Amino acid sequence: MKQLAMLIFVVMGGMALALEAAILGPLGERIGKLSASLSIFLIGILVFSIAMVIQRRSYILKLAKLPPWLLSGGLVGFAYTIVLVVATPLVGVGATMVGILCGQITASLAIDHFGILGTKKRKVDSYRIIALGLILAALGLIY
Amino acid sequence: MLDSLAIFTFPLLLLGGSAIAAQSAINGALSLKTDLVTTAWLANVIAAIVLFFLVIFFEPPQTETMFTVPIWQLSGALFGCFSMAAIVVAVPKIGTAATIVAIITGQIVMGLLVDHFGWFGNPQILLGGKRLAAVGLLAAALYFIYLSNTRKIKS
Repeated sequence: MKQLAMLIFVVMGGMALALEAAILGPLGERIGKLSASLSIFLIGILVFSIAMVIQRRSYILKLAKLPPWLLSGGLVGFAYTIVLVVATPLVGVGATMVGILCGQITASLAIDHFGILGTKKRKVDSYRIIALGLILAALGLIY
Repeated sequence: MLDSLAIFTFPLLLLGGSAIAAQSAINGALSLKTDLVTTAWLANVIAAIVLFFLVIFFEPPQTETMFTVPIWQLSGALFGCFSMAAIVVAVPKIGTAATIVAIITGQIVMGLLVDHFGWFGNPQILLGGKRLAAVGLLAAALYFIYLSNTRKIKS
């Protein structure tokens, strides 16, 4: 049941992500696309800094002692932003989204399967293959 | 609709999508060694630093800034924070694939709602059979990943 609750929670996270994108668009028109993105992360720093103060605990000092790959989460995501900016004018929004979604899904299945990047090993089984098929069908319907 | 350009760009797009999956996994792992707040904080710091340089070098001068727009226009950041928190908490519990598929499902559901009601000045596109069916398929896919995660390991 905890799995189910978590899934629903993440679906809500996805909805929030879409809302963010919808609000970000007009903001980018007004203050510039890069500035708009920067404002998002500046506010994010504010929010989580406040959270650190409220919970009176922070692991910032521990960060320096961890292996560097664990700290690269923010950077890896930039490959995405750059690809988006480069590819959309070339092949259009629809094809770009399909390509990126395919990349997300296959990579996440592989990450789970091999248990890399610190995740628990979850091998590809028939359930996941069915899920993949359903997703591809859904993508086909949308695009 | 596949032309030579698309075939060339496709590996690039796969790489971009992989980056998203990788970032989710890495941040999930980091939250286990630290906590959610520190992880999200760091991700925002790194992103802000990179974007800061991008803005300085590539953004043409603008007439408005984040401080001149009405506050509601900055609320997107709060949704982003919520979304990031959800991903970071979820990956260690349900794995990367389940998280990614759930995020995509949520994005599409919200996209459908925005289109259906014509929010944010978007043209009103009423819910159609095709896109509803797609959401249904995604929900089914989520269910199968849930089954996969919760199946008993045969010894």
